[in-house]
Amino acid sequence: MMFGSADALVQLAIKSRDPYVAAAVHELATGITKLELEALICGTRRTALAIARWEHTPASVLTALAGVHDEAIELRLDKNPGTSSSVLSGLYEEARSKDKAGLTKLIAQHLNSGTEVLRRIALHANDSECLLALSKNPAANAKVLAELSERASGSDIAVAIHKNIAQNASASAELLTRIFDASDVYTQAAILGHANCLAWLIAKAAASEEVLMMRVLARNRRVSKESLQRYAACEDAGVRAGVAANALTPVALFRHLIKDKSELVRREVASRVDLSEEHIEALSRDDDIWVRQRIARSPTTSLDVLYRLAVDAVADVRRAVARNSMSTVHLLNMLAEDKNAWVRSGVAYQANASQRILMKLADDKDVDVLSGVANNPNTPQSILKELVSSNEADVRRGVILNKSAARNTLLPLLEDPYYLHRVLLVHNPHLQAQDKWSLRDDPDFQVRFSVYRWAANICLKMPDTFLVTK
Amino acid sequence: MSKILVIAEHRRNDLRPVSLELIGAANGLKKSADDKVLVAVIGSQADAFVPALSVNGVDELVVVKGPSADFDPDVFEASVSALIAAHNPAVVLLPHSVDSLGYASSLASKAGYGFATDVYIVEYQGDELVATRGGYNQKVNVEVDFPGKSTVVLTIRPSVFKPLDGAGSPAVSHMDAPSVQSRSQNKDYVEVGGGNDIDITTVDFIMSIGRGIGEETNVEQFRELADEAGATLCCSRPIADAGWLPKSRQVGQSGKVVGSCKLYVAMGISGSIQHMAGMKHVPTIIAVNTDPGASIFTIAKYGIVADIFDIEEELKAQLAA
Repeated sequence: MMFGSADALVQLAIKSRDPYVAAAVHELATGITKLELEALICGTRRTALAIARWEHTPASVLTALAGVHDEAIELRLDKNPGTSSSVLSGLYEEARSKDKAGLTKLIAQHLNSGTEVLRRIALHANDSECLLALSKNPAANAKVLAELSERASGSDIAVAIHKNIAQNASASAELLTRIFDASDVYTQAAILGHANCLAWLIAKAAASEEVLMMRVLARNRRVSKESLQRYAACEDAGVRAGVAANALTPVALFRHLIKDKSELVRREVASRVDLSEEHIEALSRDDDIWVRQRIARSPTTSLDVLYRLAVDAVADVRRAVARNSMSTVHLLNMLAEDKNAWVRSGVAYQANASQRILMKLADDKDVDVLSGVANNPNTPQSILKELVSSNEADVRRGVILNKSAARNTLLPLLEDPYYLHRVLLVHNPHLQAQDKWSLRDDPDFQVRFSVYRWAANICLKMPDTFLVTK
Repeated sequence: MSKILVIAEHRRNDLRPVSLELIGAANGLKKSADDKVLVAVIGSQADAFVPALSVNGVDELVVVKGPSADFDPDVFEASVSALIAAHNPAVVLLPHSVDSLGYASSLASKAGYGFATDVYIVEYQGDELVATRGGYNQKVNVEVDFPGKSTVVLTIRPSVFKPLDGAGSPAVSHMDAPSVQSRSQNKDYVEVGGGNDIDITTVDFIMSIGRGIGEETNVEQFRELADEAGATLCCSRPIADAGWLPKSRQVGQSGKVVGSCKLYVAMGISGSIQHMAGMKHVPTIIAVNTDPGASIFTIAKYGIVADIFDIEEELKAQLAA
């Protein structure tokens, strides 16, 4: 029998005496029933600690646990990525009043921490670890980072703080410019790679001979063509690789870089999507495996070249052809008979693989090939039904993850021995509500939690909807 | 004087490295200079392993001539039983492996020996032998003692004990394996799950990628980096499920435990409990992740809060320099 409403679901959860089920429906409850659920969640300290740490615990439960005032629970809440801004704010007050630097550091680095809390840490925290953690946190806005920089100036940790700020996406152009001149070359390179770095600073730095800075600038789309020309002749392979990877590098420079002595550079060239037929032809015959592999994977490579690479001596190159979105059914059919299982697996996962190819691959013995067949939406249901009874958990999981697997195909998997598979089925759109609800008394707590959480989400989205009680 | 018996293990004509680790463990159990370490090697071609097993710390080497070069649980059980009867060792050390799973418990149970499996610490506390193994899915260390047992059989976790340096010149003796009716037959050798791929449970340097790599086309640049750095590229479950790397490269509860790994570089892996189950024991874990709150940092020795592509790019440039 299925539950009828949110209240009925909460009552079922209370009746179950299961703390994880209680956590799953906590958001639905009010008043006394909410307290009953919280009593279950905190039934033992060990359970409360586990739920406070668990990454799937709903935010409302984490908020309730903050009211327990247990230091070990608070530590777990500070670490839990789901803890809300308001809970973190309360925990900060407590950490500050008790001078708990360890807890303050966790709040300083938490992505959900509010601006005001982070600002207060920037202005008042005395522990260097807290300030360093704050300088890395992208939740700290430009103003907080500016205040932190101001406070750190002249201190022992100024260099480290500014290095972190240079990599923090929230840092403003003004702040980056201000710290540039006083920074070491590593921090300067980071500033030049920052999206907010001002154009004039990039132009000024382009004349630098520092390898680190040239590596960053060579990849920067805001650098001038003249600078790219200079970098293309640089002795450092990392700099030349940057030029090869830069979308603004003029075609004229490729002729030079295609024959570069470093395979690092040639690999970057081979990754480009604006290569001419002549360039592709040359690179497809490169001695380096990874250059040929990238050409084999490129959607701009012609079929003629793909056919040649499909019989390359190196399996990784043939596999790349198998994964190329432009490979034809004929080419895939050829690769489906490759002696190397990883190449055949590439075909099995291919969106262009026909039913005929997949039926042939379904007779394969290799787990990667069979997993690909199980995953592929083009695989006929009759084959998927056979794969459901595979001894390999990976293959059965492939069927569960298959977007085309029908309900009847999936039903036997509700009794799969691996708990993760049953958790995945709770989230499967092809199963009906009654199928998912049948897992509510599963022996594994994660499955039970998933079922009740799924049901609670339905109630939250459609509060007036009663599910069928049958 | 007491004796410690080590059973060497070989597969497809290669001596498994764990055999030498067991010799290191056995020497750590010597209570006096009079104590002896005996090493036995079983098989039709067992003589071939004498040079490799003539190492420091071995006092006597027993070559047991068996009917087949391949492992047979019945032959091994009968042979080790005969060796115990002949030498009366206080401790028998076997590798914790798929081979010993086939006969160790039966050997100990039938004769009433003390027994513990997957042991990673073994020592004498006073006169009492104490073995430490994991319990509750490796969440606790369980100390096992063996009151009243004159012989204790232990299967030892590979890659835990260090082999001793230097060559040795042990006395070598020979015996024939007892004649037994074997209940199994070797038909073919199949590398489980790996096909032609590397066995990630035996490698010591792993670079592993997770969801952070974003797209399949990004996998290859990490394969290049791993190749250049001398690492084996592995992955978390979502990457293998998507078919981006073979299942044999998957680390974790659904994949493999990387028992021999010494250095694990986790790139863009958040660190689910299921993934960490396969690698949290590694002595040096380096984690790279943009999220400072990622669980992987709780077990990492070194953490880098950064974009994995920036690190990959810089590492390649450094390696090329």
